[in-house]
Amino acid sequence: MKNKFQDNLFKLWVIISGLTILIVTIGIFSYLLYKGFKVISTEFIFSSPKGVPLGTEGGIFPAIVGSLLSGLLSGLLGGILGLCTAVYLVFYCENLTIKIYILQALQCLAGIPSVVIGLFGYSLLIVGFGINKSLLSASITLTIMIIPFISIRIKKALEETSKDQYICSLSLGISKSYTIVRLVIPNAFKYIMTSLGIGIAFSMGATAPVMFTGAVISSGIPSKLTDPFMSLPYHLYILVNEGLSVDMAYGTAFVLIVIVLLINLICHLVGNYEDM
Amino acid sequence: MREVVLKIEDLCVDYGKKSILKNINVTFEKNKITAIIGPSGCGKSTFLKSLNKTVEEYGGKISGSISLNNNSIMNMPLEKLRNSIGMVFQTPVVFPFSIYKNMTFAPIYYGEKNKEKLNSIVVENLKKACLYEEVKSDLNMQASKLSGGQQQRLVIARCLTVNPEIILLDEPCSALDIKNTSHIEKMLLELKNDYTIIIVTHNLAQAKRIADYVMYMEEGTMVEMGNPDEIFNNPVDSRTKEYILYMKN
Repeated sequence: MKNKFQDNLFKLWVIISGLTILIVTIGIFSYLLYKGFKVISTEFIFSSPKGVPLGTEGGIFPAIVGSLLSGLLSGLLGGILGLCTAVYLVFYCENLTIKIYILQALQCLAGIPSVVIGLFGYSLLIVGFGINKSLLSASITLTIMIIPFISIRIKKALEETSKDQYICSLSLGISKSYTIVRLVIPNAFKYIMTSLGIGIAFSMGATAPVMFTGAVISSGIPSKLTDPFMSLPYHLYILVNEGLSVDMAYGTAFVLIVIVLLINLICHLVGNYEDM
Repeated sequence: MREVVLKIEDLCVDYGKKSILKNINVTFEKNKITAIIGPSGCGKSTFLKSLNKTVEEYGGKISGSISLNNNSIMNMPLEKLRNSIGMVFQTPVVFPFSIYKNMTFAPIYYGEKNKEKLNSIVVENLKKACLYEEVKSDLNMQASKLSGGQQQRLVIARCLTVNPEIILLDEPCSALDIKNTSHIEKMLLELKNDYTIIIVTHNLAQAKRIADYVMYMEEGTMVEMGNPDEIFNNPVDSRTKEYILYMKN
């Protein structure tokens, strides 16, 4: 009798926990969508910020393009580095001590606050290497931030999906590199794309790293990598922090969320292309 | 006349500080089936994996001497070694491609580009593995959609595409039903005309049915080896006798 009561209590507790997460997530999304949807218009999406102070009128087009460019560039760099790190850890690193050190380093990197990564990017790239506050320096800084998330997720996917196939391929006398390129990576492609989607979304939502290294209050669409750029999260931060326009801030947040969701969806669809 | 194809001398395998195989000395005869039996954890699979150095992929270290046709494999390039000694694992691991692509994956790696030649490799080896008739109408089907028994035969056929001299099989029937087990046994008896087969099995009846020689292992050592009649009815070593009695009961 007592055991049954404990079972039911535990069951109730886990159901409440699960529902809470669901309700909070739906609540945040619904609220942002409701508040943001009011200011969404063609002009808001496709024009530059206007008004005095700047941003109280007009739109956010340069910020959308800037965020997309920085997100995709950091996703590209982070994807390549993250995939190579994961492949090294799973298939090449034979020294357990080195493996543990690399994993610890990745975990430490994942735990560093984004504002500190931004400060590091600023000190190294802008002060140290003399690169402009630009799309390039911001993307490199964002790459540092997302590498641990991408590499750890891909590493897990490679271990779970491809380790047996890897051994079977080697037992046919096929080389490691051929096996990895022709068998392991295609097999884990869907997980790699999902990890990349999460990494891009994470980088597009980060404010602190771009604030120090590339994002500015107002600029046009960057024509080269060394141009500064506008970014959605930084624009949002300025709108709220300077008290310019809460409505425009909700509109910006709405667009940011929709873009992040779309990128995740695209990565998911690309990853599952062969299955469909 | 006995023709020895594989000669193992003082073979030891260690994982870190743990010794798994201890001074194994044995020879394997050409075109014969040798079944390796023994209790779980005695090192049967490790022994099998050491014969084409797959054990090194799991972090194992091999010492001693293994000779294939009187040539030491210890310094042989892995590609050449595994081309000569193929391996099939306990769980059938098909590649996430079609049946056809599974069969051509290794030949394409080894440089075969001629479509007709590739087709003949596919057909010939699927026939050898007694699978062709079942899949000939849909070679472009995803291999993962085959049944467990068919997947295991596909994996064996895939192993044959690199023309090995020796085939190592690690409990290939452990997850299969009687019908599929019988399919595989029939296939192995046909394959032994062209290949030397070394199979790990827990199924003593299977060893009796198909093996020319039976090797009994315990605690990382080879206890004894002989023909099935000797090993099952008149074993020399008391440890073999105990194990066989235990398994019979």
